[in-house]
Amino acid sequence: MSKLGKKRKRFIFAALVVPMLLLIAFVVFPAFDLFRMSFTNWDGYSPEKDFIGIANYVSMFQNKDLWMSLKNNAVYFFIHLFMIVVELAFAVLLTGKLRAAKFYKTMVFMPYIINGVAISYAFSYFFSPINGAFDAILSAVHLESLIRSWLSDPKIVNYVLAFVSLWRFSGYHIILFMAALQSIPQDQLEAAEVDGATTWQLFKYIQVPAIMLMVDFVLFDNIRGALQVFDIPFVMTAGGPGYASSTFTLYTIKTAFTFSNFGLASTMAVAIMFMIVLIYVVQNYLIHGLVLKDRRK
Amino acid sequence: MQKRVLTQIFKQIICLCMVAIVLAPILLTFFAALKTKADMATTSPLLLPAWNRVTFENFQDVLTDKYLLLGFKNTGIILIVSLFFNVMFGTVTAFIIERFQFKGKGIVVGLFFMGMLIPTFVTEIARFQVIQGLHLYNTIWAPIVIYVASDLMQLYIYRQFISGLSVSLDEAALLDGCSYFGLFVKIIFPLLAPATATVCIIKAINIINDMYIPYLYMPKNKLRTLTTFLMNYANAQQGSWQTLAAGIIIIMIPTIAIYIFFQKYILAGVAAGAVKE
Repeated sequence: MSKLGKKRKRFIFAALVVPMLLLIAFVVFPAFDLFRMSFTNWDGYSPEKDFIGIANYVSMFQNKDLWMSLKNNAVYFFIHLFMIVVELAFAVLLTGKLRAAKFYKTMVFMPYIINGVAISYAFSYFFSPINGAFDAILSAVHLESLIRSWLSDPKIVNYVLAFVSLWRFSGYHIILFMAALQSIPQDQLEAAEVDGATTWQLFKYIQVPAIMLMVDFVLFDNIRGALQVFDIPFVMTAGGPGYASSTFTLYTIKTAFTFSNFGLASTMAVAIMFMIVLIYVVQNYLIHGLVLKDRRK
Repeated sequence: MQKRVLTQIFKQIICLCMVAIVLAPILLTFFAALKTKADMATTSPLLLPAWNRVTFENFQDVLTDKYLLLGFKNTGIILIVSLFFNVMFGTVTAFIIERFQFKGKGIVVGLFFMGMLIPTFVTEIARFQVIQGLHLYNTIWAPIVIYVASDLMQLYIYRQFISGLSVSLDEAALLDGCSYFGLFVKIIFPLLAPATATVCIIKAINIINDMYIPYLYMPKNKLRTLTTFLMNYANAQQGSWQTLAAGIIIIMIPTIAIYIFFQKYILAGVAAGAVKE
């Protein structure tokens, strides 16, 4: 028995040592290092750095550009939030009786798979003021008066980018909703239909309660996603003009790698981490405290 | 009956609108890629060029760029090595966490869980020091170690799969004198093949499409990946949309092709990876 126990121990150790070392070196240690750096004024290359207490935290809260960036994140959040209703409707539509449903399902998820950099450039072309396709569409339907400089007007650029984000990520939510809808037993739906339930009643009384967990997941995924928007503005506008389309993550990355202020950037990174953990805790509390408890009754 | 036909038509129209929105940016980019510089200025961006003026020069321009081939090669190497280690570590870690009780298990599980909560992008601020300290900066190993160490979705997929396998299988093999290693390699690993397919396909798409890690850690020309190739190409083509459009289309092809062939695995894996609670 003890021989087997020894063998067991050796196997567990041999199997876990490399993945654990990698995880600690490249994920766990950097996370802790962010905390340490957030109390220093390190510039990213000098050998010395000074401990400056909470000065970075004070300057983070007073940074107007950062707050503006966070407001831009909020735009992504609300636009995606309103879209959840449409996404749900599409999920119901595509799981119901529909010709060519398989083809539509393929199409709806395709934007999520496509190379994000490539599609960002494609949209830069689409919204370009010179020969841009979007302006051409507006002209074709005689709405020339609506034409704007979509990517350089500080008032609208962020909305345009949020639209691109919608284009890319809505399909992901639709697929998740569809997976949840398909887990509803078919006979339950049929029985209700035989009893004369309308589509709306089916949706309200059978489908929505059954997919509450997924709706909850999508809601929180939306918060996390909106908080971490990075590559669309990074490629399309680099956060400009000015900071009009900057986001919290983009601003943090710029503070470190463009302005060489690793101390302040680490502080912002700590703030993002804190928000993500907080969101997770609230979500867990809600799911286990409310949604699952309801179900048990 | 008539009402049913009408709703079906209405549904089809909505779905076709969705398809149009999805395809529009891709098709319009494709149209531009087929035009000459002169036609770019004179034809509507919504239309194909006249059939006798269609040109493939833009595609030729991209395809003969020596860095494109390099991009394919680098992306291919990163992909194969990362997937190999991801599958190896992912299967064995999930197997141990699911099937063994041992001292310190709580810490191990806690650390992996923490790894999943840590946000992407901003972690690079601190990870950059680690990569530099290990002299991996500007080498192809930088993205590989990061892809292997972080992004732990495979653990969920494998754990879910292993928890569905019967424990009596393990017990029988061990009673027959099979070692733990033998049990894993000969019995568990082959049974995980469907999960491995899902993991490989989803990860392949993520790695091919990833921009920031190769951009940050491999600025060297020789280390361009498909995605960073496109970024450099875009900077070099300032104002010449038709050639950039051809580049965009070419870079989109690999992941779209994977998607079309392996759609079933992707859709199943995406849904399984999401609901972790």
